[in-house]
Amino acid sequence: MSAQSDRRDEVLAIVLDALESLNQELDEKDRVEIGPVTPLFGADAKLDSLSLVSVIVDVETALTIRWDAPISLTDDRAMSREVSPFDDVGTLTDYIAELLQEIAPV
Amino acid sequence: MTEHTAVLGSAPELTGRFVVLRPLAAGDAEITYGWRHSARARHLNASAGSVEDQRRWIVGRPGSEFNYVIALVNGPDIGMLSLINIDLANLRAESARFLIGDEAATQGTPAAVEAMKLLYELAFDRLGLERIYGTIEERNHLMIKWQKYLGMKEEGRLRRHYLMDGEFVDALALGLLADEYRKVSLPRMKALMSLGRAPVGGA
Repeated sequence: MSAQSDRRDEVLAIVLDALESLNQELDEKDRVEIGPVTPLFGADAKLDSLSLVSVIVDVETALTIRWDAPISLTDDRAMSREVSPFDDVGTLTDYIAELLQEIAPV
Repeated sequence: MTEHTAVLGSAPELTGRFVVLRPLAAGDAEITYGWRHSARARHLNASAGSVEDQRRWIVGRPGSEFNYVIALVNGPDIGMLSLINIDLANLRAESARFLIGDEAATQGTPAAVEAMKLLYELAFDRLGLERIYGTIEERNHLMIKWQKYLGMKEEGRLRRHYLMDGEFVDALALGLLADEYRKVSLPRMKALMSLGRAPVGGA
């Protein structure tokens, strides 16, 4: 397995952890089914903005601690992409991996 | 009504891309009563005991408050939001009674974000206020996280502020200043809104 693949797996785990934390705050009927392609925000999304912000904050915090650099997931770059990083877990994971490749190449 | 609130007049309707804030009216008693007694409202303080009480409460709102129903553009009513204790002498007001009652209708839509943005625009840009403040029950973690992400700063803790189901609960006091709104809140609100799906029948 390549270093990039290992990193993607690590990022994926961070995103899934954020969704697990979110579920702990939600009523059972509102909980999100967690997986590598879980829709986040936009068409077919299951999150409202309160839940989305919870995921953003938890992921940004975890990334900043792990890579010792401030990482923003909602800057102009993220918002200007043709495919939103927040479409689903996969697009968010790929976007973060891309950001990390610039600040800490593997 | 005090001299400081006399110039407020009635709440103006506020229209955005995703939501409309329309002034709360007596006819909203039934739907707002339902929202206030839903599981989602468990972190808010006590509300009216009946629809008729809710109607009386709505009719009795003072002139220092702008109370709104949040409706999706070309869609259903989804929640409520208020600007209360509007003080034009000290240029401050409290954001309060924020509740999304129809959660399913807002999935994938930045309805809550735009509703708050419209309220902030009214407070800071139209009324010229310097400060918005509010309290959140300490266990309402998602709302606390959301408000802080959108620029509010924690200013203190109000001990045993709410009595809920026989248990005293602390509240966090949060505040947002006009320059923080422009530097932090607006860019983040715009970013979140750019992620949302287009409203039904909208752009």
